[in-house]
Amino acid sequence: MGAEQAWVLAAIPAGVFLVLALFGRALPRGGDYLGVAAIASSFLLFFVVLADFLDTPGKLGPVVNDIQWSKIGDTFDLRMGIYVDPITIVMFAVVVTVALMVNIFSIGYMKGEPRYHWFFAVLQLFVASMLLLVMADNLLLVYIAWELVGVCSFLLIGFYWEKRSATEAAKKAFVTTRVGDVGLLIGIILLWKEGGTFNIQELIHLAEEGHFSQPYLFTALAFIFLGCMGKSAQVPFHVWLPDAMEGPTPVSALIHAATMVVAGVYLTARLLPMFEIADGMLLTVTIVGLVTALLTGFIALAQTDIKKVLAYSTVGQLGFMFIALGAGEPAVAMFHLMTHAFFKALLFLGAGSVIIGTHHNQEMDRLGGLWRKMPITGTTFLIGSLALAGLPPLAGFWSKDEIFVVLEHKWGAWAVILLGISAVTTAFYTTRLFIRTFMGRPADPHVYEHARETPPVMTGPLVFLAFLAATSGFVVFHEVGKALGFPGGITEFIFLPHHGPHEYELKWGFAAASFAMAVVGIFSAAWMYWGNDLRRATALANWQPGLYDMLRRKFYFDELYQGMIDRGVLGFSYIVSWFDRYVVNDTGVDGSAQITGFTGGVLKYLQTGRVPNYAMAVALGVIGLALAGLVVRG
Amino acid sequence: MATEVIWWLFALGIIALSAGVVFSRSVIHSAIFLIGSLAGVGVMFVILTVEFLALTQFLIYGGAVTVLVLLALMLTRADPSGRAEKVNGPQAPFALLAGIGVAAVLLVAALSTEWAGNTESPTNIAIEAISQRLFEDFGLPFILASVLLLVALVGAIIVARQEEGE
Amino acid sequence: MVPLENYLALSAIVFALGVYGVLARRNAVMILMSVELMLNAVNINFVAFAAYLDPGRIVGAIFAVFIITVAAAEVGLALAIVIRLFRNRATANVDEAATMKW
Repeated sequence: MGAEQAWVLAAIPAGVFLVLALFGRALPRGGDYLGVAAIASSFLLFFVVLADFLDTPGKLGPVVNDIQWSKIGDTFDLRMGIYVDPITIVMFAVVVTVALMVNIFSIGYMKGEPRYHWFFAVLQLFVASMLLLVMADNLLLVYIAWELVGVCSFLLIGFYWEKRSATEAAKKAFVTTRVGDVGLLIGIILLWKEGGTFNIQELIHLAEEGHFSQPYLFTALAFIFLGCMGKSAQVPFHVWLPDAMEGPTPVSALIHAATMVVAGVYLTARLLPMFEIADGMLLTVTIVGLVTALLTGFIALAQTDIKKVLAYSTVGQLGFMFIALGAGEPAVAMFHLMTHAFFKALLFLGAGSVIIGTHHNQEMDRLGGLWRKMPITGTTFLIGSLALAGLPPLAGFWSKDEIFVVLEHKWGAWAVILLGISAVTTAFYTTRLFIRTFMGRPADPHVYEHARETPPVMTGPLVFLAFLAATSGFVVFHEVGKALGFPGGITEFIFLPHHGPHEYELKWGFAAASFAMAVVGIFSAAWMYWGNDLRRATALANWQPGLYDMLRRKFYFDELYQGMIDRGVLGFSYIVSWFDRYVVNDTGVDGSAQITGFTGGVLKYLQTGRVPNYAMAVALGVIGLALAGLVVRG
Repeated sequence: MATEVIWWLFALGIIALSAGVVFSRSVIHSAIFLIGSLAGVGVMFVILTVEFLALTQFLIYGGAVTVLVLLALMLTRADPSGRAEKVNGPQAPFALLAGIGVAAVLLVAALSTEWAGNTESPTNIAIEAISQRLFEDFGLPFILASVLLLVALVGAIIVARQEEGE
Repeated sequence: MVPLENYLALSAIVFALGVYGVLARRNAVMILMSVELMLNAVNINFVAFAAYLDPGRIVGAIFAVFIITVAAAEVGLALAIVIRLFRNRATANVDEAATMKW
């Protein structure tokens, strides 16, 4: 098997999905071992694909494999296929690794839950769709997979559908991303209309040749970017992701932290050559990323639910990735995507471990001091937190540092300062999260008494991911990549071919600044919360209650949207309902029925029931027809 | 010459008898006129040299059908006292107009058309020719017609059967 | 010899008389007799056409055979219906069986 057969990676979980969905209920243990086996085989096959890809003649070139899908006339020739290039390989690595860990973790986390087999079935469907999404070579296939991962996300957020908040959250996620998805569809159609193809590489080629006019290209890409913003929860579409935490925690780790939400980043990275051609598109991407990173950094400061903090952190980190894309550096974005996937999946799984260990407590106000009870979870969580805060030499430091470098290079100092603020808040809320959960005095002695470490099936994935969170940043160094077998180091590998080989070098100034930002955030949080003592924090909140309330209420986004729906949508729907009631219903539907009824009431008297009358009608009809025939004949 | 005289004789006879069928006030008279009219048509067939059809006409119409009609009349005498009933419906005047209209249309159509072929004298139709056509080319319709007759026979029996309790 | 048009005219007049009978009469048996008149008019036409215009194929004559057959079946069945009607409603007049209406 070679890289041309990479579709097998997606086919295995897809097949297992069918088996689990149809027969999972009847299988012992809900067939969870089948799910793990499917992902594990995809995980192993990934290395086969990787080895073959690295051996491909022409060195690091894309591998294409496509088939004719449908052909209508001479103009519409739809081909579908897979396209494996370095970006795809990175996404493969992230998806299969995190998915495997999450699958193993779920065996412990979901134990005894209702619809256990269904959870694993949808997880397989998600992995299959996500792999399909990252290897699709044309936008139509991307869109299909895009909607498939969306529906998996919907199903898993609403997994506990007995809970009203879960169904509401699933609905919100679906509707919010839908707004973006419509944009994506419009964008795809616009590109197809002018370019005549769905194939991504052909579209990029057309754009480079100047086939599209500037305003047209900008419009189409703006619509596509709308879809990316919806999927990757960028402001103003970010509201769905924190609510999506209603789903089971492994789902949050896999879908809402590591893989699905980065689909927007992936698609933007894939189309970045076109984004660079359209004037102003990169600036748009940068501004969206910056605003998102800043806003969510502040919101996360005031959240008390562990998973909510992590969710806002995820949104912010996705903003970081978009900033890297806005600087025209997909490689840096993919690098941060990878490190973030590992440490954020670790943090979410750690949160899941805390939830199970403390019998379903996820409010910081009831936690504290858990490190003594849950040493493995605590230690791995600390590693993940520091990686997120950006402390060297953990993974987050290297990728975040790269983002600062490229951002300064492209847009100048003002952007770096703004992003620096976001980095400080990141370090601050991460430290706060860790201290209030694992250190100091327990806020609720009862919860503390009953807390216990989770079984190895859950801590195992934590340790593995902690290892990756600590070390995956080192691949940035030339020697490490070479030692792992990547020709020319891993940075060259993940850089797009036409950006040329590029060797990483540490910029000491940026590294020092980045380190300082992390340290400032960490120490100010430690000073404020040390020992899980809330006096200073409460004093600060009381000093500016309005500001605190604004952060706690997430800048009133939900209230704003609700108000818009109440005023705008309901007002409009009132007009529509009036139109429907009086014009469509009374005039159109009832009116036509009444006309028919009235006419029938009059015409029924023609139906005398006397056969001679009918015979007379027949005779007259015959005479009339014969006369007409004679007249026509002349 | 003799043929023409006979033709006119019978043609006028058919018309007169047919008029008798539809204008007569007595049902029984109508039926008897009908026998005459149908027999006249049979003679027309003879003049057209289709003796086989003439024979069929006499047998089926002159025999079977009229007997059936007379039997039905016997069984459906509404008024045993024989008091004359109103024989025509209320739309009889309009029916007359319609009849005239049909006649006019048909006559105009028949007489104004240029018929392709010999319209002066009929050709002899040999009985062998009819049998050949009927049994060779129209074999299947012929068999189907016999099935139809059987079905109609059974159907008529079932419809007219006196059921228990009637 | 008698020309074709004579037969056609005869047929037309007999047919029109039949039409009048069907439309004007009340008694179902009389209506049936009028229908027989119409069928015979058609037969005259068919046979005349066969003898004058189509001596080779004589399809008209064959059709006349079938018409006589079908007419026999029709009369049998129709009269059965009339008897049935008379038994149920004590009348053979079609305008008194007028329940098939609004």
